Amino acid sequence: MQKQLTVHDRIIYSLLFILVLLLILTMYQIDRQWLKLSDMQTTLSEQAKAMRELNTVLANAQLRTDTTKVSQRSVAPAFKRAYQASQLPDYAQGDWSVDAFGNNIKTITPLVSSDAYAANVQGFVLESLINRDPETLAWEGLIAKSWQVSADGLTIRFQLREDVHFSDGVPLTADDVVFTYDFIMTEAIQAPRERAYLEKIKSVKANGQYEVVFTFKEPYFEALSLAGGMNILAKHFYSEYLTKPQQFNESKGLLLGSGPYRLTDAKNWTPDKGNIELVRNERYWGDVQPPYNRILWKIIQNDSARLTTFRNGGIDSYSARAVEYEALKTDQQLLDKSQHFEYMPPVVGYSYIAWNQQRAGKPTRFADAKVRQAMTYLTDTSRIIKDIYLNYAEPAVSPFSPISKQHDTQLTPYSYDLAKAKALLKQAGYQDNNNDGVLEDNTGQPFEFKLTYFEANEDTKRLVLLLKDLYAKAGIKMIPTPQEWPVMLENIDKKDFDAITLGWTSGIETDLYQMFHSSQAISKGDNFINYKSPELDKLIEQARATVDEDKRMPLWRQAERVLYQDQPYTFLMRRKSLLFIDNRIKNLTMTKLGLNFGSLPLENYVPLAAQKYSQ
Amino acid sequence: MLTYLLRRVLLMLPTLLGITVVVFTVMAMSPGGISAQSLIGGMDMKPQEKQALLDYYNKRYGLDQPAPMQYLRWLNNVSPVGFINNERGEREFSFTKGMDLGTSFQYGRPVADILAERIPITLLLNVLTIPVTYLIAILVGVYSAKHRGGSFDVASGIAMLALWSIPTMLAGVLLLGFFANVQYFNWFPTAGISSREALDMPFLPHWNEQGFVRGFLLDRLWHLVLPVLCLSYGSFAALAKLTRTAVLENLSADYARTARAKGVAENDVLWRHVFRNSLLPLITVSAGLLPGLLAGSLIVENIFSINGMGQLAVEAVKGRDRELVLSITWVSGFLTLVGYLIADFCYTLADPRVTYD
Repeated sequence: MQKQLTVHDRIIYSLLFILVLLLILTMYQIDRQWLKLSDMQTTLSEQAKAMRELNTVLANAQLRTDTTKVSQRSVAPAFKRAYQASQLPDYAQGDWSVDAFGNNIKTITPLVSSDAYAANVQGFVLESLINRDPETLAWEGLIAKSWQVSADGLTIRFQLREDVHFSDGVPLTADDVVFTYDFIMTEAIQAPRERAYLEKIKSVKANGQYEVVFTFKEPYFEALSLAGGMNILAKHFYSEYLTKPQQFNESKGLLLGSGPYRLTDAKNWTPDKGNIELVRNERYWGDVQPPYNRILWKIIQNDSARLTTFRNGGIDSYSARAVEYEALKTDQQLLDKSQHFEYMPPVVGYSYIAWNQQRAGKPTRFADAKVRQAMTYLTDTSRIIKDIYLNYAEPAVSPFSPISKQHDTQLTPYSYDLAKAKALLKQAGYQDNNNDGVLEDNTGQPFEFKLTYFEANEDTKRLVLLLKDLYAKAGIKMIPTPQEWPVMLENIDKKDFDAITLGWTSGIETDLYQMFHSSQAISKGDNFINYKSPELDKLIEQARATVDEDKRMPLWRQAERVLYQDQPYTFLMRRKSLLFIDNRIKNLTMTKLGLNFGSLPLENYVPLAAQKYSQ
Repeated sequence: MLTYLLRRVLLMLPTLLGITVVVFTVMAMSPGGISAQSLIGGMDMKPQEKQALLDYYNKRYGLDQPAPMQYLRWLNNVSPVGFINNERGEREFSFTKGMDLGTSFQYGRPVADILAERIPITLLLNVLTIPVTYLIAILVGVYSAKHRGGSFDVASGIAMLALWSIPTMLAGVLLLGFFANVQYFNWFPTAGISSREALDMPFLPHWNEQGFVRGFLLDRLWHLVLPVLCLSYGSFAALAKLTRTAVLENLSADYARTARAKGVAENDVLWRHVFRNSLLPLITVSAGLLPGLLAGSLIVENIFSINGMGQLAVEAVKGRDRELVLSITWVSGFLTLVGYLIADFCYTLADPRVTYD
């Protein structure tokens, strides 16, 4: 049964062989072109580097000859810290900054994107008129060189620097600022969030090429940050999308700005590339050129894979949970290769338990301020911080950060006090009449409530179990109710819960309007606990309409005292950032904004000897 | 044969329709509507912002219409023939309108684009995994059947059982922890399907002044070693056991004895007669392969940070991204049915006794 190869078979086999050979040869041919191309690329980038150095030399020379006109070329305040870093003895440009995102990014187009990751990327590419000084937290000019706020707070004038240009060389003028506002306010563009903010602005007008005037409808305390913090979009780049908004809304990577880094191709980044990569903007206008050649973000979704990659040196930083941090702090391999930091950024959010005061039109038990105070006395925050967050957190008194000027330093967190809580509950009419260990109200109903929380967070799960025990000591029965995120959001919208534990983010200055003003107790508003205090309403309104900071801060402090007394939320804590950073990265210091890692203009760098990536 | 084929294809239509009805109903009834989910991370939003976003979504996707209307609208869009609005705004029936899978809520992009992005990645993984799986399974299965009771049979039997029992989640993390870790063996990369440097490399491996350059092709393969290992070990363990049983059964069958008696070489008995007959159970299992090709594996994709269909499906369900969920289930339902059809035909190839006339 031995089968012989027929002529027919031989022909087929030889054809197949020739085909495979041809395929391989074609690959080699294409590879040769590719190599040639990368040679050219290297040459080009070397030339660009030479040009940059030449520019720096020229600028310095000008500085030396023009000592009479120092202001012309001297370093602007926004670049002061970056300039100081560049004068350090081991300072060097070059190398890459490599980090990891824990999730896929859907789009990095400004306005369309909604997550913090995309905002992080955009921060390196887009710039705003003004910036906060990390040391004083005061505003200082970035694209704007100066600005004036009118006495009534309704008009802000910005004078722009005349040497700013986008990464494609087109100058940035007042027209671009006006365009940015018009673009966001165009209904067809998918920017409903930004539009809702900018509603407060009546008009934005250019006054000549380098002056722009913002006019507001009413005095607003955040007017300056609203106008000055807007990321400026390039008119020549984005204006074509006014006629085809659909294309803009569905785009994945339309990103061009005046910042220190740029996308290699400003129009065609797509998420399936797996990485996000920014390259140095060789034409950057700033007084100090950024240190890294590239900024790269890898997508690593699995936590242990991210840690392993950090150990292998594949990424530059790793942020840990408290329990994990405690273990890794003594890990010799990590200690040898990295520096670790524990710090409390001023913008860190706070977590809380919100007590719903009205359900289905009827007031709940938590409508009584005494009950809420009792709950706060029972919530042993210091124990939560010690047991669950291993002391990497601090108790929260109010929505205001303890280092903020909004905070009244005389207020201290409620401490655990079972006796006081019991007394308050007794005053509110709760007693254990049938001796079953659970309190009853006047109608004989047991004090029992459900605490809703997000199911996927390990720390929250443990927190809720601890709370259950704490409340049981006072005879209150708490039923833990874990929920999926979309379900939880729907229940919040319907105000269908007894109590809920969540977190809010904070800013340098935190507004209370959204969560505590009675006008927001509407359907789908964020005052989902139906908290109404005419006194607080008035204070919030006054504070928001007061442009003068010195007059506004006492109003916020007064509002804080009302919140402290009323306890609409039981404020839990603020958690520290726990961060490991690779030893290569130098000049890491603490500022009032937290660690300066990755803060712009970039102050970190990698000394020549430690550089890893050459391109 | 042709009538059978036609009958099977026509039967697919109601099945697919049934699948979409069930999926749509489940999606419509699931708590936390589409609008709620689009607001993930929306807790930082001010109420007027949130309201604005909600209104925007309702308007854009017609979420304020009753559910049956939404379903019919979706069905009309998806079907290759159906109603369209012509230039004068009148509704007319069209045979050439083509399929429109709709726009994903979460991504704000056409579903077809997203699928086109993800499918090649999952295909690549599986195109590598399936041959590896079958090759190992058949070799191990046939060899241990041939030497039944021998030391290889016992050892492979235990090893396969052990492999089959290890959960992928654990195996993936262990593989990463030991073979991609600088503390043990830093042989493989930790995440993704190619490294950043590889994008600047030529396609094939070659030598230059700096030494060996692995090239894009080798880099991609290097990244896929651990994921493919992770995807294949469970199935080749099971398949090897299956092959062994089938081959054993056929080896002792009458026809094998007859073949030996008439002087056929033992190797020919094994591969030409016994093996061919033992293929039937393997074909049955492979019916599930085609949808599996696209379904991907959530766990492996997550551990190795690969953006395939598995992750997409879970993200879509979690995000209540209806258009995306419907498209994925629709596509995988279709492929399952086609897979069964192909398997049924493969029976006729492996076993001439099977006919459908």
